[in-house]
Amino acid sequence: MADPTLLSAACAALETAINGALRYDPGSRYALARLAGKVLAVELTQPSLTLYLEPQSDRIRVAGHFEGEVTTRLRGSPPAMLSLLRSDRLNLAGSGVEVFGSTGTLEQLQQIIRNLEIDWEQALTEMTGDLAGHQGAEALRGVGNWLSGRQQTFERLLGEYLTEELSTTPARAELEHFYREVDELRLAADRLEARLAKNNSAPAPRDND
Amino acid sequence: MPDHNSRSTDHSSATGEPQDGTTHFGFQRVKKEEKASKVAGVFHSVAARYDVMNDLMSGGIHRLWKRFTVEVAAVRPGQKVLDIAGGTGDLSIAFSRLVGAEGQVVLADINESMLRVGRDKLIDQGVVSNVQFLQTDAQALPFADNSFDCITIAFGLRNVTDKDRALASMHRILKPGGRLLVLEFSKPRSNLLSRLYDTYSFSVLPRMGQLVANDADSYRYLAESIRMHPDQDTLLAMMEEAGFSGCEYFNLTGGIVALHKGIKS
Repeated sequence: MADPTLLSAACAALETAINGALRYDPGSRYALARLAGKVLAVELTQPSLTLYLEPQSDRIRVAGHFEGEVTTRLRGSPPAMLSLLRSDRLNLAGSGVEVFGSTGTLEQLQQIIRNLEIDWEQALTEMTGDLAGHQGAEALRGVGNWLSGRQQTFERLLGEYLTEELSTTPARAELEHFYREVDELRLAADRLEARLAKNNSAPAPRDND
Repeated sequence: MPDHNSRSTDHSSATGEPQDGTTHFGFQRVKKEEKASKVAGVFHSVAARYDVMNDLMSGGIHRLWKRFTVEVAAVRPGQKVLDIAGGTGDLSIAFSRLVGAEGQVVLADINESMLRVGRDKLIDQGVVSNVQFLQTDAQALPFADNSFDCITIAFGLRNVTDKDRALASMHRILKPGGRLLVLEFSKPRSNLLSRLYDTYSFSVLPRMGQLVANDADSYRYLAESIRMHPDQDTLLAMMEEAGFSGCEYFNLTGGIVALHKGIKS
């Protein structure tokens, strides 16, 4: 079982980072005030822990222990949660995240957090001092860049495997060719429809008898 | 899930307190009526450097223990909170924000020097509108029955002469359904941690106290008083004896500190 001290440290770091970003973002603070009183529970699987995000008038409180009514509860792995948080629009289908309760609250909070420029270096510095904070933030950035690079490589390799090896998906060139043919077919159908309409509207030949 | 425990078994009030009119002051035995003035002497001496020493001694971890305490307190807007042995006001600052303008926080401490440092700190931080300050003894709290939604005592119970009497006093002034939280040093769960902690407490702490606060004796008392304080299960039994129900505790940092919770039914 995790020691509450560690969870409190994680909550404090997250809270510092989010509220540090909110300090310079009055628009997000204004949006946040409308969510005051709501509680979002983020239930992570692996590692198994739950964080509670509680918007207040000008800040977000992050807690590891909460007793009360939760507005929205999310359940999923950390990568699935991060992916959901970073996506432009809230799309739960296939996200690997289960949602219970109000999705409206989730959508509003997701937009606020996604728009924030979170300064992880400041958060770490406040907890550990200047030097350790800077080095920690550099390490985090390095890990982030590495993960980003691995993600692009993985996407490319997966695409090649599905296309070339399994032939379950068409290659990009084939797909583009197919789209061009569909476009041409649609244009030809439009022209045919216009011609038929013109023929139908033309006056019938006069009977001279 | 936090490392936490609860139980509801029969027990005797085996608090480890002597039964001959004396009590512990660290490892010394003193007359009960002398303990309060001796403890007062310690805190008059350390008050000015209390926050700095707390950060130094715990490496800042005391802030995380208090943060967890505030979470478990589950205080809501409009509620009344009593922060006993509130000292320099860390918990009161957090509670003031949570109870809001409609709520009330009372920062109480038996020691005038600590209370003055706490009051100055809160005023400097602009925490004034919903906080009141009171110099009082935890054994005889001057409030009507059923007055508070939540009572906390952080790193204070071990300095109280008659802990059973203090717990009964807290129980009396809590509203039904209200909760008591006792944050206090306790017994580490592993032998290795216990040995390291002993070395740190008796060798490093007094020297640190001498260097920073020019007072080795007070910090020697701190280490000794921690050893003499009831362990997790004993304190749990004492709370049940005082009438609290649903008692449980959370071990923090391997049991170096424990947070006990009890509800007045």
